[in-house]
Parts: sequence; structure tokens; C-alpha cells
Amino acid sequence: MRRSWIPVVILWVAYTVLIVVATAQFTWFPKEWAREAAVVDEAMLLLQYLAAPIMSLVMAVMTWSVIGWRTEGGAHREDGAPVRTNKIVVTTWLIVTSALAIYVVINPGFVGLAEIRGEPSSDYVINLQGQQFSWEVTYPNGATALDELVIPVDARVRYDIISIDVLHSFWVPAFRIKIDALPGITTTAFATAEEEGTFEDDVNLRIQCAELCGAGHANMAMPIRVVSEAEWIEYVEALATDG
Amino acid sequence: MKYLVRAFVLGIVGYAVGVGLTMAIRGGGPTDEVAVVIGYIFALMGWLGGIGGIEAFGRQWVGKSVEVSTARGWRRYFQFSVDHKVIGIQYGVTLLSVLLIGGIAAMIMRVELASPGVGIVDLDDFNKIVSMHGILMVAVAVAGIIGAFGNYIIPIQIGAQDMAFPRLNAIGFWLVPPVAIALLMSPLLGAFNAGWTSYAPLSVTNESGQILFNMAIVTFGMSSILGGINIITTVITMRAPGMTWGRLPIFTWAGLATSVLAFAVTQFFAAAVILITMDRVAGTSFFQPDVGSALLYEHIFWFYSHPAVYIMVLPGFGVILEIVTTFSRKPLFAYKAVVASLFAIVGLSVVVWAHHMFTSGMANFLHGPFMIITEAISIPTGVIFLGILGTLWQGRLWFRTPLVIAFGWLFNFTIGGITGIFLADVATDIHLHDTYFVVAHFHYTIVGGSIFALIAAVFYWFPKITGRMYNEKAGSIFGVWLTVFFNLTFIPLFWAGMNGMNRRIGDYPDAFEGANKFASVSALILGASFLLFVGNLLYSALWGPKVGPNPWNARTLEWLIPSPPPEHNFTSQPVVIGSPYAYGVKGSVHAYFPDANEGDDPGDGSAQNQETVLA
Ligand code: HEM
Ligand SMILES: [Cu+2]
Ligand SMILES: [Cu+2]
Repeated sequence: MRRSWIPVVILWVAYTVLIVVATAQFTWFPKEWAREAAVVDEAMLLLQYLAAPIMSLVMAVMTWSVIGWRTEGGAHREDGAPVRTNKIVVTTWLIVTSALAIYVVINPGFVGLAEIRGEPSSDYVINLQGQQFSWEVTYPNGATALDELVIPVDARVRYDIISIDVLHSFWVPAFRIKIDALPGITTTAFATAEEEGTFEDDVNLRIQCAELCGAGHANMAMPIRVVSEAEWIEYVEALATDG
Repeated sequence: MKYLVRAFVLGIVGYAVGVGLTMAIRGGGPTDEVAVVIGYIFALMGWLGGIGGIEAFGRQWVGKSVEVSTARGWRRYFQFSVDHKVIGIQYGVTLLSVLLIGGIAAMIMRVELASPGVGIVDLDDFNKIVSMHGILMVAVAVAGIIGAFGNYIIPIQIGAQDMAFPRLNAIGFWLVPPVAIALLMSPLLGAFNAGWTSYAPLSVTNESGQILFNMAIVTFGMSSILGGINIITTVITMRAPGMTWGRLPIFTWAGLATSVLAFAVTQFFAAAVILITMDRVAGTSFFQPDVGSALLYEHIFWFYSHPAVYIMVLPGFGVILEIVTTFSRKPLFAYKAVVASLFAIVGLSVVVWAHHMFTSGMANFLHGPFMIITEAISIPTGVIFLGILGTLWQGRLWFRTPLVIAFGWLFNFTIGGITGIFLADVATDIHLHDTYFVVAHFHYTIVGGSIFALIAAVFYWFPKITGRMYNEKAGSIFGVWLTVFFNLTFIPLFWAGMNGMNRRIGDYPDAFEGANKFASVSALILGASFLLFVGNLLYSALWGPKVGPNPWNARTLEWLIPSPPPEHNFTSQPVVIGSPYAYGVKGSVHAYFPDANEGDDPGDGSAQNQETVLA
């Protein structure tokens, strides 16, 4: 009996190390502009590390199949060992996969859910209305705008979102948050911007409609500008008096 | 050809009658949506009658005897044949053609997306092409393996002479061409731009092509349901003596699991589009923007469409497991656990649908439970992987094209499965949902898991079906080409999605140009690989070297009869006496033919087995 498990385990470890190192080197995510973005990115990264040994196991068996277990000799070559099953292997496999599944449900599953959707408090409420094919902002003082969304830095903002026609989706890639805009039902999302900046600094600082809504869907985006709280209050008041 | 012509004529006449009647009763024009719906229903009846329903069913209604096609040669493929082998080939050729049409749509999209800005198609047309590509490909993935090989192979694997309901089987197939015709004609009515998911209320307010989409879905659903009942009944009632559940080949098990699922859930998609149709033509308001519920549509839709992803991939599991055992020459590892997992997946898959709705605005308390059940599916799916890896372990691997493509499948589906975890997790899905990450993920599962298996199955059973061998060199070059460029096309798209590119867009911010250009070039090279595939199949079907009954030295029943199989599959009744996967067990036999005489003997496979039994 050939001891195949030695090369397979070596390959498995090697692939895992390789993937983990590569994962650690590479910048996977765009810039985090909000506290929520850090939560999502952390969860993603954790899942990526957990995935490394799984992917590596499959790749290790595949590699050794080609190197170590390949035979030629046509249809009438000899058969392999008639191993039908192995209770210990099957049980271990079940326990490990179940444990992994339970672990990811808890973290990042419920932990992330609690952090993103858990805390309903906010400093300001901004209303957003989706329509084919633009967004309309209404600030707390009633001022409205169609060209850009201006928000205060370091303040937790609740977005109340609604649509007046078909489905749209409010997505800010820089904040990693998304929620659909439904006709007749208000949905909410929370985000706390952590740095001042504009759409010109990063394309991901935009509201992008992420639900197919018709011809103009691709370009249904609105730039976001994050400013200091004082600047924001000034801007919103000016907007109210102008409008 | 006579019947096909009659089908087209009666179909067109039916359409005219339906539209005419509607106009006579309620006025209005010929392109009013009500008229189109009624016209379509009449056209469908005309088509089914014309192709052979008149002889196969109609004659019975007036007390005459039933007649079905008895044509031989190539003619039978264009007729109402009730031979499951003919129907299998009809499905296979039809759906491979649809795959190529859907592929052309994919190429157009990739060319458009090669650079930002509007190029060869404008934004609305892009949405229509995405929608067309999506639904054509979904149809291929849903019916490809089960329609072609479920029909051709399952009855033979269980030792039956045909399906339980041969005429229903024929109806099931002949419902498919109208689906393709309706979808491809829809541009005449403005096409449909709401995606293959057809979310309301956009699908209630868009152009009239949506109506043809709806009719196509209902028709295709009927075909799936009829096919499902047929396979379930056949496997339960028509197994050869000795074919106990513990000896059932794994592809048959997978086909049975798929059919149970298709039979149980397909009507929900049909229900959803019928409600949309009623909103459009009958003045109801299930999903109307002002009063209806968009969330209701999503729930009904995903109640079908999540299980549908398993309808696509379970037969793929069956194919890959079958191929891996054959080419590894080892018993299928953990057979019982694998079978149990197939059915665990069936059960779990109907209670996870709302994982597609984590950003839909549905009630918050629903997120936790759907996340838990979704993650739970990874456990039985893991057991399927264990079955594959365990069978490969220390096997005597013979790398022929089917195994090469199975390896591509294994790599792809692992990536598809792992990225699925990212989407099952609420926190990460909130960012990734409706981005290119999802596009890459579902191509890894649908193409990687279902289409790769379909292609592997084509090579595996090609010698059985045609009696000729495909070209091995061209086959394995194609397998490697397909796998490499598939990965090069979709890997960069994970990155694009994570970094802010959403899906279903014909234009995107400049920042994503690099990844998209790379994907587009890779996709075109990927597309070109199909020339080698189709060329190999056509050439080999006509001029490939002849093969005996069992070129792979496999053990399931289809390999014990001649290639191609005779009209009624078995010239004498097979009796099953052992597992189909007892490789390496001295003297083991799966089945033999107790009353075969010398003359019937097809060649190496069964003769060898008979000797062992008689000795
Ligand atoms: C040559 C290989 C293929 C390429 C390059 C390709 C490319 C694409 C592209 C660019 C999209 C649009 C993505 C979006 O914006 O949402 C798409 C969507 C889609 N593709 Fe493919 N595709 C290929 C093969 C397939 C196959 C074989 C299947 C299934 C069997 C498939 C199923 C789908 C589905 C279901 C959609 C979603 C359509 C929708 O959003 O309504 N694709 N594909
Ligand atoms: Cu949109
Ligand atoms: Cu799903």
C-alpha cells in the first residue's frame, strides 16, 4: 500500500500557506470610508482565510491525482483497492464541516449582522427617494437636492429610502451598505462616515443603484461628499433658503 | 419533416385564431397583450397537435387507436417519437444549440463591456441582452443534463425498456422548442429588460416582450414537471429484477432527486409570472407599484429559483461521481452518505430562498434563520465532495476527456461553493449582493457545476450513444482550454464586484476597465473553444472509429448493451445481482442476462460477466 497521505498533506499545507500569504499581501477591498465598511471587510477577510485550507485540500488531492495516481494502459487496466467507505473518515469529515458551518454562522454571521443592522440609533435622518433614473435627497430641514449627497463626517446617519416607481437599490460601495428601495415601503440603512472626501477622490463614494430598474440603471448614481459637521449644517441651511 | 411543417402551420394558424377571436370579442389591436396571450395558448395547442399530438392523443379521444412515430434514421428526430433515446438526443441537440445562442449573447455583452462607455449596444439593449442570455442559459442548465442524459441513460441504467409514460415524455420535449421560439421572437414586441429574475414592478410596466417571456416560463415549467413525474415514476416502478435501492447507480439517484425537486417547486415560477401576466392584462394588482407587493414577487420567485440552482447542479453531481468512479476504478466512496446527502440537499433547498433577499427590505428577524439554514446546506454538499475525493484517493486514474473535464468541474465548483459562503453571510452579502461578485459566483456554480458536467457527460456517453469514439486529443485539449479560460474570464470579476462594480450594467466607471478588458479577452478565447468542441462531436459522430459496448470498461447497465443501444435497449431481461461499483472485488458482477443466447451477445462486457456468473 502506497502511503499517499504524506505527499497530499505536504501539498495541502503548502497550498494553504501559499493562499494565506497571498491573501495577506493583496489589497482586496477599496478604501473604507465608514465604520460599517471595516466590519464588512473584516468578515470578508476572515472568510477568505477560512477558505484557504478547504480550497487547498481539493487542490492537493487534484494535484496528487495527476502526479501520483495516474495510470495508462487502456480500459482493461487493474482496479484500485475496493474501499467502499471509511466510518472514521466520514464521521470526522461531518464533524469538521459542521463545526465550520456553525462557526461561520456565529462569526462573522451573527456578529456581523448585529454590528451592521443592530443599532438603530442615529444622529441625523436623511430621506432618499429613488426614481427612474435618479435619486432625490431630502435633508432633515426639508431641503432637497438631485445632484449630490452631502453628509457630515463622524455622525451616524440613518437613511430612509423609498421608491416612487420600480425597485431600486441604495448602495454605497465606499460604505459597504446596501438596501433596496421599494415602492410604498420605507427601508432603512445606517452609516457612519469617518473621513472627509468626495466622489473625485474615490468613485466608490457614490450612491449606485444596484437593482435593475430599466434603461438608465447603469448610470443611476449620485456622488457623495463627506464634510465636517459644521460645514454640513451650513450647506443644508443654504440649500433650504435657496430652494 | 412532414410533421414539423404541420406543427409550424398549425402553430401559426392557432396564433391567428387566438388573436382573431380576442379581437372579435373585445376589439383592440393584434399586439395587445391579451391577444398575444390568447394567441400563444392557441399556437401552443396547434404546435403540439401538429407535431404528433393528434395521432398520439387526439385519436384516442374519438375512440381510435393511438399512433406514434415509428420512423427510423434521422427522420425520427423531427417527429413525435416516444423512444426515450430519441427524446434524449432531441433534448441534447436542442439545448446545446440554445447554449450556443446564449453564448453569442454573452460574447456581445463582453465586447460591450471591454471598455467603459456605450459601444456596440446601448444601455437598454444591453439589459435586454443580459435578460435573454440569462433565461436561455438557465433553461440549458435546468434541462440540459436531465433532459438529454436523464432521458437517455436512466431507463437503461435501471434495466427498463423505456420511460413509464413515453407519450408524456414526447410532449415534454416538444414543449421546449416553443419556449425558445417565444423567447427569440420577443424582440418583435420590444423584448424584456427586467432580467431573467423579472422582478416586479419593472416586469409589470416594461415592454410587451415580457408577455412572451412569461408564456415561455409557463411552457418550460410544464415541460419540467412532466419530465419530473416521468423520471420519478420510472425509477420507482420500472427497475429490473434485483435493482434494489442500494444498487441504484448514482446518476440515477441524482436524476431522481432532481426530479422530485423539479416536480415540487417549478409551479412557483409559473405562478409568479402568471400573476404578472394578470397584472398586465386582467387589471389585477398583485405587484402594481402603488398597491401591490414587490416583496411577494421576490418570495414566490425565489421559492422556485433557489431550488432551481440545485435542479441545475444535482444531475451534475451524478455525472461527475459516475465519471470519477469509472476512471478511478474504485467503488464510489461513502455511497450511502452521498445518496443521503442528495436528498438532504433536496429538503434543505426549499427552505433557504430568502438568502437572496438579505438586502430586499424584508423583515429583519428573517435574516438569522435563513442564514443558518443556508450554511447548513454546505454540510451535505461537503459530503458530495468527500465522495469525489475519497473515490479519487489512491485510484488508478485514467485521464480521458471526461475525467479532465471532471477535474475542471471540481476546481470550479469548489470556488463556487466557497464564494457562496460569502453570499450566505448577511454582513458580507449586504455589500456583495447584485455586484459582479455575484455574477462570478453564479457562473462558477452554474457553468462550473452544471455546464461542465453536461459537457463531461457528452464525452462520457458519446461512444455509447453514437457507437463511435470522439477524438481524444481534441477532447482533452478542449477540456483544458475550457477550464483555463473559464477561470481567467471570471476570476477578475470577483475583484470588480468587491471593488464597486454592480451587475446588469452596459457602462461602468473607468476604474474597472482593467479587470473588464481582461475578462472580455479571456471570454472571447473561451467562446472560441466551442468550435473545437462542436467540430469534434460532429466529425466523430460521422467518421470516428467504431467502438464496442464498453470502451471505458465501466459497470453500469448501459455499458453491457451494444453501442448504440438497440431499439428496446435490452434483447433479453437483465437481472441485477450486485453493486454497480464493486471495482477491485474479485468475481463481482453487477448484472447479467439469464436468457441471452449466443446470438444476442453484444461483446466483451456482458459476456465476460456471464462467464463469471456461470463459472
Ligand atoms: C462564455 C461564457 C459566458 C460569459 C462570458 C457570460 C457572461 C455574462 C455576463 C457579462 C452577464 C451579465 C452579468 C450581469 O450584468 O448581471 C451574464 C449574466 C448571466 N449569465 Fe452568463 N456568461 C457565460 C455563460 C453562461 C452560462 C453557460 C450560463 C448558465 C448556464 C450563464 C448564466 C447567466 C445568468 C443566469 C445570468 C444573469 C442574467 C440576469 O442578470 O438576468 N452564463 N453572463
Ligand atoms: Cu437601477
Ligand atoms: Cu439560493
